[in-house]
Amino acid sequence: MDILSINNLSKSFRQQQVLRDISFTVKQGEVIAVIGPSGSGKTTLLRCAAMLENADGGSIDLGGISVVESGKYADKASLKSARTKCGMVFQNFNLFPHMLVLDNIIDAPVHVLGIPRQEAVREALALLGKMEMQEYVNAYPCELSGGQQQRVAIARALALHPEILFFDEPTSALDPELTNGVLRVIRALAEEDMTMVIVTHEMDFAEKVADRIIFMADGMVVEDGPAAEVIHNPANERTKAFIAGLKSGF
Amino acid sequence: MTFFMVSALVFTLSAADAVKRFTVGFDANFPPYGYVENGEYRGFDLDLAREVAKRNNWQIVLKPINWDAKDSELNSGMIDCIWNGFTINGRENSYTWSDPYVVNEQVVIVKDDSPLRKLADLKGKKVAVQTDTPVQKALKKGGERYDLGRTLSELVVVPDYNNAVMMLEAGSVDAIAMDIGVAKEKSKKGGLLILDEIVMSENYGIGFRKGDTKLRDIVQNTLLEMIDDGTAARISARYFDGKNVVALGRIKSAVSEDANVSGAGFWDNAGVVTLELLKGLLVSMAIFFLTLLFALPLGLLVACFRMSGNFLLRNFFRIFISVMRGTPLMLQLLVWFFGPYYLFGIQLSKLSLFGIDYRFIAVIIGFSLNYAAYFAEIYRAGISSIPRGQYEAACVLGYTRSQTFFRIVLPQVVKRILPPVTNEVITLVKDTSLAFSLAVLEMFTIAKQIASASSTMLPFIIAGVFYYLFNFIVAGVMSAIEKKLNYYR
Repeated sequence: MDILSINNLSKSFRQQQVLRDISFTVKQGEVIAVIGPSGSGKTTLLRCAAMLENADGGSIDLGGISVVESGKYADKASLKSARTKCGMVFQNFNLFPHMLVLDNIIDAPVHVLGIPRQEAVREALALLGKMEMQEYVNAYPCELSGGQQQRVAIARALALHPEILFFDEPTSALDPELTNGVLRVIRALAEEDMTMVIVTHEMDFAEKVADRIIFMADGMVVEDGPAAEVIHNPANERTKAFIAGLKSGF
Repeated sequence: MTFFMVSALVFTLSAADAVKRFTVGFDANFPPYGYVENGEYRGFDLDLAREVAKRNNWQIVLKPINWDAKDSELNSGMIDCIWNGFTINGRENSYTWSDPYVVNEQVVIVKDDSPLRKLADLKGKKVAVQTDTPVQKALKKGGERYDLGRTLSELVVVPDYNNAVMMLEAGSVDAIAMDIGVAKEKSKKGGLLILDEIVMSENYGIGFRKGDTKLRDIVQNTLLEMIDDGTAARISARYFDGKNVVALGRIKSAVSEDANVSGAGFWDNAGVVTLELLKGLLVSMAIFFLTLLFALPLGLLVACFRMSGNFLLRNFFRIFISVMRGTPLMLQLLVWFFGPYYLFGIQLSKLSLFGIDYRFIAVIIGFSLNYAAYFAEIYRAGISSIPRGQYEAACVLGYTRSQTFFRIVLPQVVKRILPPVTNEVITLVKDTSLAFSLAVLEMFTIAKQIASASSTMLPFIIAGVFYYLFNFIVAGVMSAIEKKLNYYR
């Protein structure tokens, strides 16, 4: 079953077209890594899928709900129910600085979904345990390292039980020694068959965790295939150049 | 430009060496004795002073002064005398006086359609008086006409006569007690009536620095000359229509240099002054707290409208903020107070709410709207400073717009705007003194009244200490709140 299906998606900022005719699907339990050079439209694609940005043309289906059909957005009620299907993890975490770690996680379940507080707390503690963050329940975000904040942000997204989770360069704002903790929990999620789309620059991670890799350049999907194949045996010249460039960089 | 200013200065300085300067202090809002017309100082007293200077070959300097500061002006030597319908009665010991040259009557004016015709009719009525005038003193407890004053429902003390006449026309007072000369002037434009019965009569003299008998004698002798040769009468005719409003002539001075009228020490008592000021402080605090109570939420509302997507709403509130910040608060207070009458003809006495005088209500409206405009811009800056990521995180978590605002944005805004809000709040403490323009007796108004009645700076100093202490507490409270909100970065 397709959780996310994108067809002929296009998007421009003023004169500049950042997404051109993008189509791909994500099946339940699939992990997809989106790679490509800066400015290739990876983040914009993700933001359109998460409904933070409006597409100009094309269609998006999310969890069986049609969000956009040929560039026309659905009514408010449909958009609202589509929102509950997806979660998003930002590059800069975007935790709420005035709330404790626990409140960051339970606030939306309690006030948006109307889940009883006790139940929300029980689940939040379980999620924090999974994120190896149980001892920071009563800390404020400013007391945590970047990697810890990002793991709280992942727990916050999971607390709403999304059918698909989007990651926008989740480790780009982190010091190298802090990325591992975050990558470890994402990997654990993959093993539990969480459906995820991850925009990343971590090639090793992408290869190990992703089922498929999508390579983007100039707002287009240039290559879409099994992870090992795209990295070790790319069909397209631009993919080859990009991957070769990354390797020579080390 | 600077060159001309410097050379003008040098010129005046050198002129001062040759010719003695005679500096006359006067209140420029006191027709027909001293006032401004077409940009020039005119008036009966000023013409007399000009003639005196001319005859003594002095250079005259006419110096309009703040009436409340007249003693400081005189004692510091900034002016040589106070010559401006200056009443001797009640101030006998505070100055070295000339002989009285005018007998002035204190009268009551009412609207000509008013049923009030006799002083006895004033029972239970509101009567306005100008601050620090003899008639104010006379009507107050302990004054010579307290028998009349005690029958009034309220003695409304106003900053100037224009204000008093506006209040009379607007129906917020029933009558004004004032000098007959001023009353004649004011009633010229019609609609006002001077009652026949007078409140009291008093003598006008020229007030010199205590002990400055030398200058007093020269001026007085010249004035007597002018009275004898008819010059003074000619000057009088210019201002008083020939009618014998002013009795000008040799009047035996009832004032002797050594006459010792006691009672001057009354206000010297710091304890009494403090007590009076504390009463005023309560009113100041009421203005302060009520303004915050209304302006803080109102400001948030204005900020939201100002940032609204609706073109009309957004621009209406942009203009609102611009006008509120761009015009003096004192002017706004006058507009809120007199507006209902001048725009809609509503009698202000009918506008009281729960028995609260409309005067006070207008102060609260004026302050609340003015401060709401300032707070709105602070809120707006605070709201714009919240990173976009906060809104995006709230959006993907499914928060509604109002949930996003009240749960995520506002708590962070409050922390960020605390320092600029503290600034405004401290300014508000001091701004409460502007309520004076609507004759609301807050602390500074009372300080001014006591100060000018007793010729001492003590009330100002005590009031200053109170304002400082008030602000000290306010600043302490605000920094405590700031500390409390410091739990996160």
